Amino acid sequence: MKKRGIIWSIVIGGFALAAVLVIAFANVDSRTVTNDYCMSCHSHEEADRLWKQSPHHLSKSGVVTDCAACHLPPKEDGLNRYYMIKLKMGAKDLWAKTFKNPEDIDWASKRQQDYAQHIVYNSSCVKCHQNLYPEGISDDGVAAHLHYEENAEKLNLNCVSCHLNAGHYIPGYTHQKLKGTVDTGPGEIYEAPATVEHFESFTETVPGTNAAIRMVAIPGGEFLLGSPENEPRRRPDEGPQKRVRVSSFFMAETEITWRQFWSFYNETMSEGRTPPSVIYAANSREKVDAVSGPTPPFGFPDQGWGMGERPAITMTHYAAETFCQWLSLKTGKTYRLPTEAEWEYAARGGTSTPYFFEGNPKKYAPQGLRRLLGGADTTMIARYVIYEGNSPARTLEPSQVKPNPFGLKNMLGNVMEYCADYYAPDAYDHIQDGAVDPKGPAKGSEYVIRGGCYADAADEVRCAARRHTQHDDWLRTDPQNPKSIWWYSDIKGIGFRIVCEVPETIE
Amino acid sequence: MSSKMNRRSFLTAGAAAGAAGLLGGALLTSCSGGNKQKPLREPGTYYIPELPDKAIDGRPLKAGLIGCGGRGNGAVNDLLEAADGITITALGDVFPDRIEATRKAISENHGQEVPEDHCFTGFDAYQKVIDSGVDMVIVATPPVFRPVHFQYATSKGVHSFLEKPICVDAKGYRTIMATAKQAEAKGLSVVTGTQRHHQRAYVESFKKIQEGLIGEITGGNVYWNQGMLWYRERQAGWSDMEWMIRDWVNWKWLSGDHIVEQHVHNIDVFTWMLGAHPVKATGVGSRQRRITGDQYDNFSIDFEFENGIHMHSFCRQIDGCSSNVSEFIQGTKGSWNSQDFAIRDLQGNILWQYDEEAAKEQFTQHNPYVLEHVDWVNHIRKGEAHVEAAETGQSSLAGTMGREAAYTGNTVTWDEISASEMDYMPEKLELGKMNMKAYTVPVPGTGKEA
Repeated sequence: MKKRGIIWSIVIGGFALAAVLVIAFANVDSRTVTNDYCMSCHSHEEADRLWKQSPHHLSKSGVVTDCAACHLPPKEDGLNRYYMIKLKMGAKDLWAKTFKNPEDIDWASKRQQDYAQHIVYNSSCVKCHQNLYPEGISDDGVAAHLHYEENAEKLNLNCVSCHLNAGHYIPGYTHQKLKGTVDTGPGEIYEAPATVEHFESFTETVPGTNAAIRMVAIPGGEFLLGSPENEPRRRPDEGPQKRVRVSSFFMAETEITWRQFWSFYNETMSEGRTPPSVIYAANSREKVDAVSGPTPPFGFPDQGWGMGERPAITMTHYAAETFCQWLSLKTGKTYRLPTEAEWEYAARGGTSTPYFFEGNPKKYAPQGLRRLLGGADTTMIARYVIYEGNSPARTLEPSQVKPNPFGLKNMLGNVMEYCADYYAPDAYDHIQDGAVDPKGPAKGSEYVIRGGCYADAADEVRCAARRHTQHDDWLRTDPQNPKSIWWYSDIKGIGFRIVCEVPETIE
Repeated sequence: MSSKMNRRSFLTAGAAAGAAGLLGGALLTSCSGGNKQKPLREPGTYYIPELPDKAIDGRPLKAGLIGCGGRGNGAVNDLLEAADGITITALGDVFPDRIEATRKAISENHGQEVPEDHCFTGFDAYQKVIDSGVDMVIVATPPVFRPVHFQYATSKGVHSFLEKPICVDAKGYRTIMATAKQAEAKGLSVVTGTQRHHQRAYVESFKKIQEGLIGEITGGNVYWNQGMLWYRERQAGWSDMEWMIRDWVNWKWLSGDHIVEQHVHNIDVFTWMLGAHPVKATGVGSRQRRITGDQYDNFSIDFEFENGIHMHSFCRQIDGCSSNVSEFIQGTKGSWNSQDFAIRDLQGNILWQYDEEAAKEQFTQHNPYVLEHVDWVNHIRKGEAHVEAAETGQSSLAGTMGREAAYTGNTVTWDEISASEMDYMPEKLELGKMNMKAYTVPVPGTGKEA
C-alpha cells in the first residue's frame, strides 16, 4: 500500500508539474510576443518610431499589427520552426543588448531588403493578407500578385521585395511605376560636347543635359591578366595568367552616376512597352538617329540611398550598352563598356598585387574562427574601397574614397561593373601570350562583371576577381512578361563604367 | 445500347460471382477498386456540387439579365426552372429589339412582366441593370465584356452567373482573377456556364477519377468538332460595331475565337479533372470555310502541363467533316472518356460506368443547364460563398494561350500569356465606325501580334 501511495504521488506530482510547466510556458510564450516585451530588449527606438508611421500602424481599419506578427513565422508553419526562430532572435538581441552599444548598430542597413527578407516571413504576410487582390488594385498589381502566387516557392519570391515599407516607414518609398522624367538637379546645360585634341584626361559635356563625365587618359601598356596561382583566395577562373597588351583609352573616373544616367533616361525613355525584338532591331539599325531607351522602372531604383553622384544601379547590361550608344551619338565619339582586359589593366594601375594597394585578402577577409576574432587593420583597404567592411550596406559617393594609381575611383567595391565581354570560366585559356586588346568569347549568355560591390567581403574585391551576370535570377521578381530588358528587379549592387576610344585624329 | 446492357449484366454477374467466392482475390481487387486506389486529391480538398432537383425555397430574389441573346434567354428559362421565388426585374442589351423580344418571351413563358423602366439599352446598360436593385445577375453578353461586368456586379455585392468563356485576353483574365477573390471575400455566389461541372455523369466521373480509379493522370485528348456555327450577313443601316456584335461568334475580339468561345468546355474538363492549368501550348490552326469575321475555323493544340503531361485539344467548325464533342483522359491505371462515361483499365475492361438508369430513379432533373442554376441559387439562399470564376478564368486563359500559339506559330507559355498586355477591348465602345482593316485573319510565323 505504501509503495502504491508513493507511485501515485509521483504520478500525480508529475502531472501537476507538467501542467504548471505547460501553463508557464504558454504564459511565457504569450508574454514574450508583446510589443513591450520586444522593445524591452531590442533597443529598436527608431524601428518603433518608423513602424508607427507605417501602414501597419496607421491602417485604414485601425488594426495595429505587432512586431511578432511579421517578425516571427506563423505557428501554423510548424511549432519547431516558430520556437527556433524566436529563440534565435531573442538570443541575438540579448547578446546585442549586453555587449553592444545601440548607437553603434547600423539601423539603416537593417531596413535594406537584403536584411529584411531574412526577418520577415511571407507566410506571416499572407496569414492576414488572404486576399491579394483588394478592390481598386491596379492591373499591374494583379499581374504582380498572380506572378507571386504562381512562383513564390519556385523562384523564392519575397513580399518585401516590393513592399519594403509595409512595416516601417521609408521616406519616398514607392513600388509604383516611375512617372515622367527625373530631375537631374541644378547645373549648366551643356551646348557642345568636349573637344579632344590631345591624349590627356578631359571632361565630357553631354549636349542638352547637365551631365559631365570626367574621362581619364589611360596610356596603353602590357600587363599580366589574371592572378598567380599562389594569390590568397584566388579562384580557378582567374587563370592561367596571360601577358597581354592593351591600347590607350579613356576611362570614366567614376562609375556612371544617377545624374548622368537620368540624363540618358530623360532623353530616350518611352512610357509604353515595346516588344524587346522591336527595340533591339531599332537600336541595331545601321544609322540610328535616336536611341530607344529604358521604360520607366517600378519602385525605387536608387533604393532610397540617394541619387546625384552615387552610382546608378540595377540597370541591365543592355541598358548600359544603350547608354554608351546614346552618348556616342550625342558626342560624336566612340563610347562603350570596357573589355575585361581593359578593366583589369585600369584597375591594377601598374600593380600586380591582389589589390592596387598593400594588403592580404586573407587578413582583410578572415574566415572561420579568425572572423570571430576580427582585428585586422583595414585602414588601407577602407581608404580605397567601399566594401562589406566599411559600407553602410549601400553605395556611397565617390568622394568617400581615394583614387587608384591611374586616378580612377571605386574600381574596386561600391558597385560591380559590367564589361563588354561574355563570361566563360576558361576565357584565359583562349588568350595567347602577347595578345593585343584581347576579347572574351564570341558567344555566351552571361556577361563579365568586375570589381565587387559594397556588400562584398574583401577577397571579392581583388583586382583579378571575376564574376558574371545572373540574368534570370536577377529578374525573378519582375512580374512582367516579357520581363524588362532595362531594369533588374533582384540585384542592387550592379552599375557600370564607360570607356572612350581614342579618336584616330590624335597621335 | 445493347452492348452497354451487356457490359452492365457482365458486371453484375461478375459481382455476384465474386460474392459467391468463385473468383480469385486478384480479380476482385482490380474490379472493385477500393483499397488499392491512391486518391489524386484528398476528399474535402475539391468541390463536389450538391445537385438536388430543385433549389431550396428561401427569400424571394430579384434577377437581372445582361445580354439578351440566345444564351441569355436560355439562362433565364433555366434559372426559373431551377428555383421558385425568383423574379426577372431588369434587362440590359446593346440593342432594343433584343430586349423587346426577351421581355415578350419572359411574359409569355413565365408570366413575368419586366417593367419598361427597368429595360436598359447601350454599352452601359450593365451598370443600370446592376444598380436597379437586383440581387443576382446573369451575364450573357459576348465574352469580351464579361470581366468588366463581373467586376462591376461584385463591387456592388451582386451575385453573378457568368456564361462561359469568362475572358478572352490577358487583361480580362487578370480582372477575373482579382474579382473572383473579391467576390469570395464578400461571400458572393458566382457560377460560370461550364455546365459539365453540374452534369451528373461528369460529376460522378470526377469523383471516381479523384478517388484514383484511373491512377495518376498522364495525358488526354479533348474535342469539339462540329459543323459551321452561325453567322449574320451585314444588313443595310448597320454600323461596323452593330454588325460585329450581331455576328459576334465570328470575331476574335468579341468571342475569343471558337477555341475559347466553345472549346473551352472541353479544355476545362481536363484542367478540372487534373486540378492544374497548362504551362505551355504549341499548335496549329487555320481558316478554311468561315464566312464572316476574322477567326479561324479549326485549331489543333498540344497543351503541356507540369510533370510533362500532354493534352491534345482539337476543335473545328466546318460542315461536312466528322463530329466529336468529348473528352478522353489517360491515367497510369486506366482511362476515362465522356462518350460513354466509362472508366477502363489498361486491358480495356470496364471498371466503372455512370449508371444513368440509377440516376433516373433517384433524380428527376438531369439538365445540367438547370442544375447549375440550382447550385447558384442554393448558395445565395444559404448565404454561402461559392466562386467558380478563378477556375473558369484559368480554363478560359488556357484556351487563349492555345489560340495565340496557333495565331503566332510560336510556343506560348502560361507566364507569358498571364502577364501579357493583350487587351481585346476597343478603346471606344459605341455603335459606329470601327477600323475594320485592323481585324484581319492571323498568319502564323509573320511575327505580327494578333
